Amino acid sequence: MTWFLEQSEIVTKIFYYLIQVVHWTILISACAYAVALMLGLVFGLGRISQNKYIRAISGAYINVFRGIPLLVLIFFFYFGLGQLINLDRFVAGVIAIGVCYGAYMAEILRAGILAIDYGQHEAAMSLGMTKWQTMRHIILPQTFRIIMPPAGNEFIACLKDSSLVMIIGLREITQAGREYANQSFLDFQTWFVVALLYLIMTVTLSRIVKFLEKKYSVHGYGVKNDN
Amino acid sequence: MIIDIKNISCRFGNVQALHNVSLSVQAGEVVVILGPSGSGKSTLLRCINALEEIQSGEINVDGFLIDKEQSQMHDIRLEVGMVFQHFNLFPHLSVLENVNIAQKIVRKRSLEESEKNSIALLNKVGMGDKLEVYPGQLSGGQKQRVAISRALAMNPKIMLFDEVTSALDPEMIGEVLEVMKQLAKDGMTMLVVSHEIGFAKEVADRIVFLDEGEVV
Repeated sequence: MTWFLEQSEIVTKIFYYLIQVVHWTILISACAYAVALMLGLVFGLGRISQNKYIRAISGAYINVFRGIPLLVLIFFFYFGLGQLINLDRFVAGVIAIGVCYGAYMAEILRAGILAIDYGQHEAAMSLGMTKWQTMRHIILPQTFRIIMPPAGNEFIACLKDSSLVMIIGLREITQAGREYANQSFLDFQTWFVVALLYLIMTVTLSRIVKFLEKKYSVHGYGVKNDN
Repeated sequence: MIIDIKNISCRFGNVQALHNVSLSVQAGEVVVILGPSGSGKSTLLRCINALEEIQSGEINVDGFLIDKEQSQMHDIRLEVGMVFQHFNLFPHLSVLENVNIAQKIVRKRSLEESEKNSIALLNKVGMGDKLEVYPGQLSGGQKQRVAISRALAMNPKIMLFDEVTSALDPEMIGEVLEVMKQLAKDGMTMLVVSHEIGFAKEVADRIVFLDEGEVV
């Protein structure tokens, strides 16, 4: 019993220590995901453009950044580009994760757009809408509903991968956890708390995604979601 | 003459869908196009709305020209309303929004004006009590009546109906044909691709037969 109390005291202490840097993890993932969404939208649309050059550029972007390990990208943006321009750790980390996840998001978005019946394009165009109006008012609102589950997955993956930026010395929870473990030798307890913190965040996120899915679901459209 | 089709040909790969088709339609005329499957009926209709590219010939719709370039296709689509076999209602929008949306963003009407117009049209086709309902909750006949209202809301001079009753259960065909008859009575220029011989006899001013991409 005393062992248990002692341990929970240690864990609580580590928990309060690490929670002080949890905002960095959240901030990095949120910013990186925002970058990924924007790049995904641009290159996802580019991938299905009628212009073959735009299609080729978008395809190249996806292949390049999907094909390089995120860790290498982080090194490249911080140390590599850091030799040319002065990049802040945070900015370099966000860009690295953003461009990597942007490639995944582009593919998800493309699949979402292609999943929509071509009749929707024709109906919109026959009403006199331009291509852009059709995209903006008819196709993309339906696409976002379709891609919400995989896009939510990407956000969760992005949050987990934000731990990689510890490698360039950004003090988010993984880095702070490592420092704590190294000083205190309480490895088991520290990494337990780090894992727990990630789990709390990812489970919360998946709840939010589910809530959004429900909020934007349209009766009689798509799969019914009861749970 | 509101529609003047001159020697158009349309090909998909090796398939010659339309071969030297000519047809002219007077304002207010109701033309029903009959023919076996694959004879090019739907393609002809889709060409008039610039949804298919034509390889030769030209179509003149109320002063606007469709040819290989398709430069005036936007203007033509404003003149021409189209109703599809599979309704193609926007599933993420309510019935009222389906009818509103193009009025707002294409015709630049205010929300009040669009809604007033939409509600009047939906009342006319008997859908006035379903304004806030989504397409997924409607029957086929109801969807098609909404789709007709949606096309009419743009105030087209010509309406194209592409096998609009083919995907419907028999008991729902009547309600859609009723709406189309009313429209014909009101003097709308209509081109109808259909298998409903009865409807063709009753409403059509003229019946055109297509076979293997040619008018016979």
